[in-house]
Amino acid sequence: MLSRTIISITNGRNSVAAEDGTVGESRLTAESVVGESWPDTVELESISAGAQRGLVGRIARVVLPFLVIAAVWETASFFTPPYLFPGLGSVAKSFWAILTTWDLLSQGLVTWSRLLVAVGISLLIGIPVGLAMGLYLDVDEFLRPIVKFIMGVPALNWVIIVIIWFSNTELRIGFVLVVLCTPVVIYCIYDGVRGVDRKLTDMVLSFGASPRQHVRLLMWPYVKASAFTAAKLNVGNSVRTVIVAELVGAPLGIGKELDLAKNVFDMSTVLAWTLFLVLMALIMTHGIELVERSTLRWRGERQGGQ
Amino acid sequence: MEQSVQHQSHADPVLKLTVTRARKGFRQANGAAVTAIADLTFSVKSGEYVAIVGPTGAGKSVLLDCLLGLKRLDAGNIRIDGCPAETFAREKKGHITRIFQEDRLLPWLSATDNAAFGLQIQCVPELQRREVAAKWLDAVGLSGFKNALPSELSGGMRQRVNIARAFAPEPELVLLDEAFSALDDVTASRLRQDFKKLAQSQATTFLIVTHSIDEAIFLANRILVFGAPARLMAEIPVPPHAWEDRALSDQLKDQVRTLISAGARRN
Repeated sequence: MLSRTIISITNGRNSVAAEDGTVGESRLTAESVVGESWPDTVELESISAGAQRGLVGRIARVVLPFLVIAAVWETASFFTPPYLFPGLGSVAKSFWAILTTWDLLSQGLVTWSRLLVAVGISLLIGIPVGLAMGLYLDVDEFLRPIVKFIMGVPALNWVIIVIIWFSNTELRIGFVLVVLCTPVVIYCIYDGVRGVDRKLTDMVLSFGASPRQHVRLLMWPYVKASAFTAAKLNVGNSVRTVIVAELVGAPLGIGKELDLAKNVFDMSTVLAWTLFLVLMALIMTHGIELVERSTLRWRGERQGGQ
Repeated sequence: MEQSVQHQSHADPVLKLTVTRARKGFRQANGAAVTAIADLTFSVKSGEYVAIVGPTGAGKSVLLDCLLGLKRLDAGNIRIDGCPAETFAREKKGHITRIFQEDRLLPWLSATDNAAFGLQIQCVPELQRREVAAKWLDAVGLSGFKNALPSELSGGMRQRVNIARAFAPEPELVLLDEAFSALDDVTASRLRQDFKKLAQSQATTFLIVTHSIDEAIFLANRILVFGAPARLMAEIPVPPHAWEDRALSDQLKDQVRTLISAGARRN
């Protein structure tokens, strides 16, 4: 963003001033009383090349492992049949087809909608339950064993259970996703409530806050932070689970497309859908982080998924 | 410090606070019983500045919790304006406020919203409470930091917000819980002076819990010396401007120090 950065430290009064430069240049001036032994003006010029080298280095560190995997994969594709290791060009072609063909893209969006709804419903259920567990010992003692039990049931078992319980496909998929995501929300909120600084609680109660004011003015801001954490965890959680649920008889969605691709050994399409799912998860996580950052600005820059 | 907030007068000649034969104990995790307050009796008149000093573990903070109705006594009673403390705290929200040792500001609220917190508890409309809070921030010298988050303020500034928060609801009784002990000497000294000016412009009663005898002499017109567990060992009147008279101030300090040592040694 910046083509040139100048840092100027000037000996002088006990004040610190900073000013933004024009586009392409940033100038920071610091005046300090500790500068008796400082030269009158020290100008340090950090030319963008240094910053760019740092940026390129960071990108390289992220990209390099994927480049290595891609190279190994591409090499393997020369020596194996396409249903095992299809060439990267073939995978890219399938991925492009998904993005540009409405019939395919709509299947992805159906799965995406299911994820969004499931994550949303799990928050709606999990926040009040976690809050109640964190605030009231009786509720905690009653519900915690149940939540622990539900968390212990594998996703595939839930899939089998819902096939017997429900005939409606959306209900089956939704139930599986919600039942897997909700305990995560409950535990995050529960921990958030229990992690509230006791001294702040004392302060709030000292001013005579009612139980409702206590929750609204003190607990809720902490609960919000925990809810964002839960939502991010559940994006990954639900992306991993939704395909399992969709594979069992869903007429729409990525699961159905993967099932079709599996039947014809179309590995490039399988990989393209896998990339699509990962991309979907990344976009959702990034979206949550953006909202989190603006909502929880008070936690500082390093928070909010930074 | 500029004072611009109008207050109603609560000062009258009657007793503001009476603590009669108060007792409070706890049971530790290992089952051992600990006495925090042992047969404590004292009273405070309206408009008085009373300091409580005593050794560590003298149950001073527990006493403040009981005054605010957050903890119940095992025996005895605390009355504020003749009402049991719990009833007073419940029915007259914001009429007793506390200035904590640590600022205890809510990190997501601006200085104004933090200063307005007591008023928010009293369900004062937002516009009105922000207006009052802004006036108090002016009064404590934070005019330019009304929108700052606590993380953007220094320790001294945060403590000023803490003070503004305690004054904003126009309390009848302000409890200082070692309010300046977490600050460095220079900041604490400056803040004490500002606080005193601000407090003197109010018709409010102050109960000042402190470990600093100097602070007690500077702020209070009566010092209660507690032993550990909390019991009244002595009441020492502080003459006006005693803190300016070096000899008198030293004499008072020696007297209080001797009593505190005696109170601590008994346990």
